[in-house]
This record gives sequence, C-alpha cells and structure tokens, in this order.
Amino acid sequence: MKRRIWVLILVIAALASAIAPLVVAREKLVVYTYDSFVSWGPAAALKDAFESAYDCDVEYVTAGGGKATLSRLLAERDAGTSDADLFMAEINDVPRIATYDLFMPLTVEDVPNLAYVPNDLTADSMGGFVPYEYGYITLTYDSQALDEQALPQTLSDLADSRFAGKLVCEDPRTSSTGFSFLLWTIARFGEDGYLDFWRSIDKSLLVITQGWSEGWSLLTHGEAPLLVSFSTDTAYEALDGDDLRYRAFAPGGEGYRTVYGVGVVNGTTHADLATAFINVLLSTEIQELIPTTEVMFPANENASVPAAYADYAIIPDHPLSLSLDLVGAKMDTWLHDWETVITNR
Amino acid sequence: MTRSGYLLLVVLVGLLGVVFYYPLAVVLRGAFAVDGRWTLSGLAQVISDPYYLHLIRFTILQAVYSTLLSLAIGFPGAYVLSRYNFPGKRTLRSLTVVPFVLPAIVVALGFILFFGNNGYLNRALVDLFHLSGPPFRILYSLPGIVLAHAFYNAPIVMRVVSAAWEGLDPAIDEAAMSLGTGPIRRLVTITLPRLAPAILSASALVFVFTFLSFPIVLTLGGARYATIEVGIYTLVRTLLDYHLGAALILVEMMISLSFTYLYLRVEGSLAVATAGLKGQERVPLFAGPVRLGRALIAIYGILAGVFFIGPIAAIIADSLRAADAWTVSNYLQLVSSRYSPFLGTSPIATVRTSLIIGALATVVSLPAGTLIAFFVSRTRAIGRWAIEALLMAPLAVSSVAIGFAMLRGLAAGPLRIGGTLAAIVVAHAVLIYPFVVRVIRPVLEGLDPHLVEAARSLGSSRWRAFIDVELPLIKRGLLVATVFAFALSMGEMSATLILMRPGLSTIPVAVYGLLSARQFGAASAMAVVLIAVTAISFVAIDRLSKEGENV
Repeated sequence: MKRRIWVLILVIAALASAIAPLVVAREKLVVYTYDSFVSWGPAAALKDAFESAYDCDVEYVTAGGGKATLSRLLAERDAGTSDADLFMAEINDVPRIATYDLFMPLTVEDVPNLAYVPNDLTADSMGGFVPYEYGYITLTYDSQALDEQALPQTLSDLADSRFAGKLVCEDPRTSSTGFSFLLWTIARFGEDGYLDFWRSIDKSLLVITQGWSEGWSLLTHGEAPLLVSFSTDTAYEALDGDDLRYRAFAPGGEGYRTVYGVGVVNGTTHADLATAFINVLLSTEIQELIPTTEVMFPANENASVPAAYADYAIIPDHPLSLSLDLVGAKMDTWLHDWETVITNR
Repeated sequence: MTRSGYLLLVVLVGLLGVVFYYPLAVVLRGAFAVDGRWTLSGLAQVISDPYYLHLIRFTILQAVYSTLLSLAIGFPGAYVLSRYNFPGKRTLRSLTVVPFVLPAIVVALGFILFFGNNGYLNRALVDLFHLSGPPFRILYSLPGIVLAHAFYNAPIVMRVVSAAWEGLDPAIDEAAMSLGTGPIRRLVTITLPRLAPAILSASALVFVFTFLSFPIVLTLGGARYATIEVGIYTLVRTLLDYHLGAALILVEMMISLSFTYLYLRVEGSLAVATAGLKGQERVPLFAGPVRLGRALIAIYGILAGVFFIGPIAAIIADSLRAADAWTVSNYLQLVSSRYSPFLGTSPIATVRTSLIIGALATVVSLPAGTLIAFFVSRTRAIGRWAIEALLMAPLAVSSVAIGFAMLRGLAAGPLRIGGTLAAIVVAHAVLIYPFVVRVIRPVLEGLDPHLVEAARSLGSSRWRAFIDVELPLIKRGLLVATVFAFALSMGEMSATLILMRPGLSTIPVAVYGLLSARQFGAASAMAVVLIAVTAISFVAIDRLSKEGENV
C-alpha cells in the first residue's frame, strides 16, 4: 500500500512540474540557435542586457547544432506552428538559406551597428542573414608529441608516411568544423582534385569523428597529435591559463573562413524587437564578449579583443572560402562523392 | 483474453498510433512523394547506389559480429549467475546493467581512455613488457566497434538468459543425470533447447540495437565505417533531402522488421513449457574443490571484470583529473552556479528530471508491454507474428528516424506536444515498451498452460487467474523488464534532445551539452553521476522486489 502512495505522489509531482511552465507574463522573443551559443557563448549576458533594456523575455531554443535547429525550424514552419523570431547559425550549415525564404531583409537603417561590420563579411549573398562573428578552421597540434619543425608545411604534406595514424578530422556530414575542412580541400585542390587528396591521406587519418568535441578529446588524451580545429585554439589555451600544449597553426598560411550569422525570421510578430536584438548583439559591449565566450573574432571592428588574441590567435595569410551559392548548389554532390570515396577502401 | 482486456489493448494501440505510427507515417510518406507527385525514384536510388549498398552490407555485417561477441561474453555470465551463489551476487547482478544506460558518447570516451592507443591498458602493457609501441591497436576499426557493442549488449544477454535459466525445471536435467548423461551432453540436448527462446530473444534485441547503432560506430570507427544510420542522418539533418532520407529509413525499417518477423516465427516454433514451480538449485561458488570448471569461471571473471570495469573506471578517473592532477574540481564545477548555463538548469534538477521521467516511463510502459506480451503469446490469430512485428516497430526504427518523426509529427504537427515533460515521458514509454514485450513474452510462453486451466476450472476469472497464477510466475521477467525499461529511459538521448526545451534537461543531455562546451572533466563527472544514480536505482529495484532471493 505504501508503495502505491509513493507512485501516486511521483505521478502528481511530475504532472505539476509539467504544467507549471504554462504561466506566462511579458512579451517574449524566441531565438532559435545552436547549442554551444547557449552553453558557452555570450547568450546569458546578451539575454540580461536585452531584457533590461527592452522589458521583455528572451528564450533560447536549440535542437543541437545549427543544422538540427534549422530542420526543426523548417518543420515547424511547414506545419505553421513556429514561434521563432530569430535564427542563428554558421553560414555553411545553412548554405541554401536563400531558397527557404526564411529571413526579412535588413539594412543599416534597421540595424545601425551593421555599419561597423566590414564589407567582406557581409558581401556574400546572405539575404537578411547578418554576420556577428567569424573565425578560421586550421590545424591544431600537440606540442608534446610533435616538434614544431616537423609540422606539415602544406595540406599535401599530410599524406606523408611520417603522419601515419596521426591526424583526426571531423565528419563533414555531422560537424560544421568537418564541413569547413572539406570545403577547404575543395577550395585548395579544386573539384577535380579534392577526392585524390582524401585518398592520399587515408593512412594518415586515425579516425574521422562525429563532431569537434570527440576530436578534441582524442587530441587531449594523446590518441593523435593533429586535429582539424580552430585558429583561436592557442588563444583559448592562453585565456584559460593553460600551458599552451595544444597550438593552432595554418599549414602554408591557409585556413578556411567560418562565419556565424543571425536573421529575423519571416512572419515574426516581433519584428522591431528582433531587429533591436541583432543591434544589441552587434554592439561593442556584447561583441567584446565573443573572443572569450565563443572563441571567435567579433564582426564589429570597433570591438577590442583581449591581449591573448593579439599574441596567439592566428589569422591565416591566405584565408580560403567558397561562395555560399556554389556551396549550396554543389554540397550534395561533394558530400556524396566524398562519402563514397572514404568508405571504399 | 477477456473483453476488457481487448478493450485495453485497443486503447493502447490507438495511443501508439497517435504518438508513434502517425508521425512515422508522415515521414515515410516522403519516400514515395516528391512535390506532391508519387514516385519510386528514391527507393530505386537507394538500392542501386554503390554507397548505400555498401552501408547496408556493412551495417548487417557489424551487427552480426556484435551479436555473436555479446552472446559469447554474456552466456557464460548467465551460466554463473544462474547456477552459483556467491557473496554480493545480487548487487553484482544489478550492476551488470550499468553499461547499458551510458550515453554512447560516454562509452566511446571510456573506451578511448582504456583501450585507446594511449589508453590505460596499452600504457600498462608497454611499461610491463618494455614495448616500443602500443600492442593493442583495436580502436578506430571494426574490432573496436564490435567490442564496444559487446560492452553495451552482453549485459542484455546475461540478464535475459539467466532469468530464463533460473526458471528451468531441474527435474528433467536431474533425470538425465541419473541416467548417466554427461554434463556437456545435458547442456546441449536438454538445457540449450529449453533456453533457445531466451537466447533468441536476447540475440534479436542485440542485433536490432547494434543494427541501429549510431554514435558508437561514428566515434570508434569513424566515417570510414559508416552505417545506414549515418546515411539517414546525412540525408535528413545535413542535406534536408527528406525524400531520399525517408526512402533509406524505409529500407532500414524493412530489414530490421523482416528480421524481427523471421525471428518471431522461429521463436514461436521453439517455445516449450519450461517453468516449474521448483527453481534451479544453486551451488556456492567459493566452496568445494577447485576443478577445471571453477578455474575457467575464475578466468572468465577476471577478463569480464577488466572488460566491463576498465572503461567505467577510466571515466571515473578522468572525472577526478584536471590539469594533470587529482582533484574534485570537476564535481565542484558541476554544482557551482557559474556552470548552470551549460545545463540550462541546475545539476540537481537534471538528476531529478531524469529520475521522474525514468520512473513515469517505466510505470507507463511496464503494464502496456506486459499486456501486449500477454496478447501476442496467447492469441492464435492468423498473422499474429506480423502484428507482433508491427508492435515491435519502435524498437526496429532508428533513433535518428524516430527523432525526425517526432519532430515532424509531434513537435511540429497538429499535436504539438513538444517541450513538456509529458511529451518526453510518452516518447520514452513508446521507445521502451517493445523491450518489455520482448523480455516478458518468452517467460509467458514458457508457462505451463495447465496451471491457468486448473485455476479456471476451480472457478476463478481469467483476470483472477492472471493475477494469482501467471503474474507471480513471470515475476523474474517483470523485474528484468523494469530494470531495463528504467535504464533505457535514463540513457535515452536522441528523442529527448528533440523534444526538450531549455530549462528541462536529463543527465545524458547534460553530458552531451558539457562535452560540446569543451567541459570534458565536468562531462565525465556528470557521466559518473549517471552511473551512480542508475547503479543505486538498480540495486534499489532489486531490493524492493519481494522474495528477492528468487529473482
């Protein structure tokens, strides 16, 4: 009998906690974003700053990475049940963004802080998708396992037998970092040459991981000394007070540019609030949090970066990037050819 | 079955229809439709493209290897658990299920820490024998995947088979022994045939689980060893090609469902009445002369101990390390308010949410699964195997597909129940109940029908007979089902990730969040919390069950 009462209490407690969130108050701005922005980006500071300035509630919704959140947003939009006001992601996660007709067009009049974002970041045909941070995909090495002199001088060097089983990269299908690396190889070797490059590094690859986290874990647990990662890794180590064991480097001065953007979702009932939110995100106050929280470069050129960035964050001499239109048009073919080659050993 | 029984069944299936079959149908319709036109082009492409054919071949191959290894590791364990008594046996048995709840991402981490080229095992061997390189290069290849799958699934074999073994009527065995039949001959001709339904049941579960495995394959094998799941993920999450994705989901489902159907037919023909009123006699393990048998058990115990405890111990060690020193700072980080943004809530709330969801999902799925098991084991309707195969569908559909179906049909559809605790409980219950059916059904099949008939002839109602006769006899199976149901819910991540909202987080989701936020130490600490919470829960479930001695 006693046990039944406990079960009953459990059931009631569960029902109560399920119903509790239904009590609502102020106007609410719903931001669809990727998980790392919420977990370690400036999300909390941004929410506090915006809520106190505009007397509303900010709610972040994430379904995982940028791609996962986009597919949730599109599914909800198709069903007519989406309450998303804003959407944030890495642009290569959503290269066909223009075809979805997802965003309201925005100009400098709507978002005054857009004036401080350099043109080369906004030039791409992003249709209402406003960049707020950027960075570069490069390689990172374990300085206790590899000598600085022994590092690959170019991407092609990775095929050398001295790197056998030493490289970890991320799966371009599941990871934004991995996708940027694939685009890097296409930008570097061309559509005719990138598959040959991937064949040539088959022996050097220890494993192609699902995401960047797994790759970083392999690097830091001594499983492999080379990882496809971010050019700001050394700066992150320095900010964290670590001993700079893991250092980023740009082979041949190259790296692939990665840009994160935000847009106001078409059909929002809070267009003014949403536009104001983007302006706050682009304000120097929030932008100066980007290097320490997102470990990226702020898009607003007036925002200052910490000293560690000046010392350690690498800006490749020859940054590569492909146009978003090209990526959107070709990504299916590229990925399918890649997965066919990589599994056919 | 009585009329009220059927009524309950119809209600259950209707509920299933709303929360599972409807969303799945929404997705699968995409396999045949492009822009409103009907077509078979997607299916044709999937079964003709060399890449997808490669995926299908490899997926089946690794699942077969994984099932065989899980059986090889789990069966001796089931033997020891059901035939011997030793101190701490009940606790050990409760703990065998712990690997099963661990999120794949944590198991992968444990394997890398322990079996990796730079892992504890290799470093110990290098130090011990003064080797120049790691002798045990097993990860990042097919053997690594198979080994990790066995780590997950051997406990299923152990629990399911030992539950059936303990229920065997020893009288037949004793009769054979008295006639001078040797132990090996008795095992092969008497014990194995009677265990066949349980072994098949366990193998089928393991096969389906490994057939649908996703993060383990990706993390320990990498992209070069991709399975069908990876193909589906790429299509529906990366390329947003719902047509081809749905076609691949359909192919995957057809393979796992036809396998399920086939095995149900075989299992149905194998069912023999096995359960007697008298349980198997057990021998104390640490008494009596040391002979070959006990020596083999000792060797098995040591190997299994290293295999199962190694990766878990490695995670615990990892959670106690930061900046190359021993520390509890990872746990302090976990409770400090500074880290709450990673979880969207406090760690305590995360543990509480997991426990509440686990308990409720178990409470919902246990009677539902038992009732369905009762129905399928008692009915003689034509096509009952097809019906059961369909009822098993939630187990035979990949987590990627279910997540996608719930997104299209539940979170976004007209029902739109995403984001609430109730939605997660319902999703978990749907994912769990087929497991309950699988565990309970062989036990029910093994019951002597005369027992119920006797009760009926003495005037008790069908319901009364179920409560008084069958229920007590299937208690062992119910306990195993409860433990696994709870475990499945505690470890579930993909559907939870889709249905949750910020502020509502379970332990595996928190582990995942911490990992993607570079908080590796804290992630290991959170994983240890999961291990501890589930281990305590399992021991508690075992203790709570009355007459635990027989269970």
